[in-house]
Amino acid sequence: MTTLPPLPMTRPKLTSLARQKLPCSPTTAPRSQLIKEKNDIDHYLEENFKGLSKEEVAAYRNSYKKNIYVDMLRDGYHKSFTELFSLMEQWDAVRDPARFGSLFLQRPLEEQRDKLDHFYHYLTRAEVAERKEYFEDVYNNLYALACYFNNSEDRWVRNHFFERCFKIAQLIKMDGGKKEAEAHGNMGLLFEEDGQLLEAAEHYEVFHQLTHGRMWKDETGRFLNLLACESLLRTYRLLSDKMLENKKYKQAIRILIKAAEIAKEGNDRKMEGEASYYLGLAHLAAGEYETALTVLNTYSKISTELDDDLSLGRAYEAIAKVLQSQGEMTEAIKYLKKVVKIARNNFQNLDVVRASTMLGDIYNEKGYYNKASEYFQQAFDTTAELTNIPLMDETKVHYGIAKAHQMMQTVKNYIESADLTSLDYLLSWKESRSNIAPDPITAESRRSTMENLPQNSEHLEEELSGFPDIQKNET
Amino acid sequence: MNVIYPLAVPKGRRLCCEVCDAPAERVCTACTVTYYCGVVHQRADWGSIHEKICQLLIPLRTSMPFYNSEEERKHGLQQLQQRQHLIEFCYTVAQKYLFEGKHEDAVPAALHSLRFRMNVHGLSSVELVPAYLLLAEASLGLGRIVQAEEYLCQAQWTVLKSTECSYATHSLLHRNLGLLYMAKENYEEARYHLANDIYFASCAFGTEDIRTSGGYFHLANIFYGLKKLDRADTLYTKVSEIWNKYLNNHYQVLSQARIQQIDLLGKRFETDTGLDEAQEAEAIRILTSIWNIRESTSDTAPQKTIFVLKTLVMLYHLMMNSSKAQEYAMRALDLAREQQLSDQEQNSIQDLLSLISAEDAHPVT
Repeated sequence: MTTLPPLPMTRPKLTSLARQKLPCSPTTAPRSQLIKEKNDIDHYLEENFKGLSKEEVAAYRNSYKKNIYVDMLRDGYHKSFTELFSLMEQWDAVRDPARFGSLFLQRPLEEQRDKLDHFYHYLTRAEVAERKEYFEDVYNNLYALACYFNNSEDRWVRNHFFERCFKIAQLIKMDGGKKEAEAHGNMGLLFEEDGQLLEAAEHYEVFHQLTHGRMWKDETGRFLNLLACESLLRTYRLLSDKMLENKKYKQAIRILIKAAEIAKEGNDRKMEGEASYYLGLAHLAAGEYETALTVLNTYSKISTELDDDLSLGRAYEAIAKVLQSQGEMTEAIKYLKKVVKIARNNFQNLDVVRASTMLGDIYNEKGYYNKASEYFQQAFDTTAELTNIPLMDETKVHYGIAKAHQMMQTVKNYIESADLTSLDYLLSWKESRSNIAPDPITAESRRSTMENLPQNSEHLEEELSGFPDIQKNET
Repeated sequence: MNVIYPLAVPKGRRLCCEVCDAPAERVCTACTVTYYCGVVHQRADWGSIHEKICQLLIPLRTSMPFYNSEEERKHGLQQLQQRQHLIEFCYTVAQKYLFEGKHEDAVPAALHSLRFRMNVHGLSSVELVPAYLLLAEASLGLGRIVQAEEYLCQAQWTVLKSTECSYATHSLLHRNLGLLYMAKENYEEARYHLANDIYFASCAFGTEDIRTSGGYFHLANIFYGLKKLDRADTLYTKVSEIWNKYLNNHYQVLSQARIQQIDLLGKRFETDTGLDEAQEAEAIRILTSIWNIRESTSDTAPQKTIFVLKTLVMLYHLMMNSSKAQEYAMRALDLAREQQLSDQEQNSIQDLLSLISAEDAHPVT
């Protein structure tokens, strides 16, 4: 939806008077005519008449709102009057009850002259068109009014006009249903913003059906069909998200399959790919790994076709997750390494973090604590660049856990041997919580990590104190 | 004897004619407290309103102004309240005459209303405004435009000076101003004032109220006179819709109540319109004139004519004037048959007709 440029509007008489400043010496002939009540005003008096006609008095005395109303009624536009009147009543009702904060922020409508002018202009034109039964004109005017009110505080006005557009569009038969389709799209948007996704989906479906195969374009030049597909996919995705939250997997998958079909019809590879991605995620959530894999493979193929590294990265990550759930760790690791490479090439730090964390996790579970801590360190360093505090904390936790696991073997040996040197080492470690003296047996593995220990000792303290249960599980 | 000699009246007391304030020569023998300057005025007043309020005036005009005991003070208070009632009554009667078109008769009644209001509220109170407006309308009807303008100026000045004038009064004022300008053929001003009237009436009563419909009706008349037929048309449609909705609602409510009550009492409710006489007269006038206008265009849009006719039928039915109701219903049916409208329409008219005849057959007990 676009906003129209400010039109040079035909302002009604009273309001144009109200907007002018009072001239000191009126020289316009019409004014003297207005004031003239006796039939003999000579030229001198006409030039220098310092007075106000009745209309000017009215224009200054009454509120701008009243002027608009009177102008509307004077020309016989009673339907515009009724509609504006009821809208104003609703406006007051919306503003009044106990909303003291917004009450001060929002100026009363009487003072917002531009809005009132717009109302007058478009509503009267719509009424004229309605009388002559040019429903397209009516639709256009109402739509323009709706676009004008497309800001956050006047949203309900816009919705009201969308509904009216919709009713009018149903009556338009001449253009093969284009306006009707657009109206359905608008209603879908209305419901989507409101959160009523089912109704939104219904309207978007009708929109899609009507625009199927037609080459209509909207005002920005984009194909209506494409717009319909996108909106429909978006709504389906939102719906399925909600359903996944409620664990209704079958329904979610059904909807996403529908979405994928629609995307295929839409002939847009990117949308198709995205649809497959979400379908794959849904399958994963439902536990159907095989189908998830097939779908995600399609997605990765499409992404490579489109040369889209980011989506390729997403695809590989998802595949890795599936493989991880299936238990195919080596495959998963392969994919994840690919992801890390792609992400690093494209400076996608968040993805790097995520992928490294997942890698580290896998290695951690398998027991390769060195590799695990290596990857976690990568992740931590990247988050340090990002300065995203919650993320940093999370990666710190993982890193600390991995380090603890690394130490675990040494500590265990020390405890078991229980000779004086080992006890000494243990005590010093407990006191300082920094380095633990290298165990001669496992010295090599320790060396690589010695430099890093002082850096991360504080983190370790936090983590180790905070996660004693992890250690308990491991031992 | 009903002749008075002005010179025989006690010093300081001036007896004036009810209608014109000239020195009085005659007295009404029925009540002996009303004076007139001549037979003409006496007859006019009697026909207009004196017949109805003759006896009521007696206690009002013979009251002792000096209250020397509690009873008399209470008596004085009662008098005041009676006056209030009288005011309303005069006002309604005058309005009814106006809507029936009997402007001559309306004038004395309106004058009475004005005088009583002056007595109760004082000379420059807002309450006087409706009385002035009535007088103005009556003068307009009689063609005395200058006098009407005088009354209206007085009314307007009172409104401007007062601080708490209700929306309804504003609306009425502007309506009369609009009518005045229509009579003077200054259609621009008339439209302006009628627009104001509709605005105030909507503020007071809402946009779909029967009291707002009067404003719409007059505006439509202007457009009709200016030959802007499409605008006039939509406005007439709006008026008929408003009345139709009101009458329908009323009828539904009544029939509901009747269904419930008939078990308890075995008696039937009287139908009524919920309007007072003046409003009824106004309704009749508005709807009949719309019907006449529609008649002239009935070939192109018979549905609208039939709509108006159905509304008229309902109105007369609720006013218990079943002969007229039937007459209009028959007309509607003929028109429907002539124009070969859908069966649905014809059936609905048939239903209405049978309903009325059924009501007719079982008169109200």
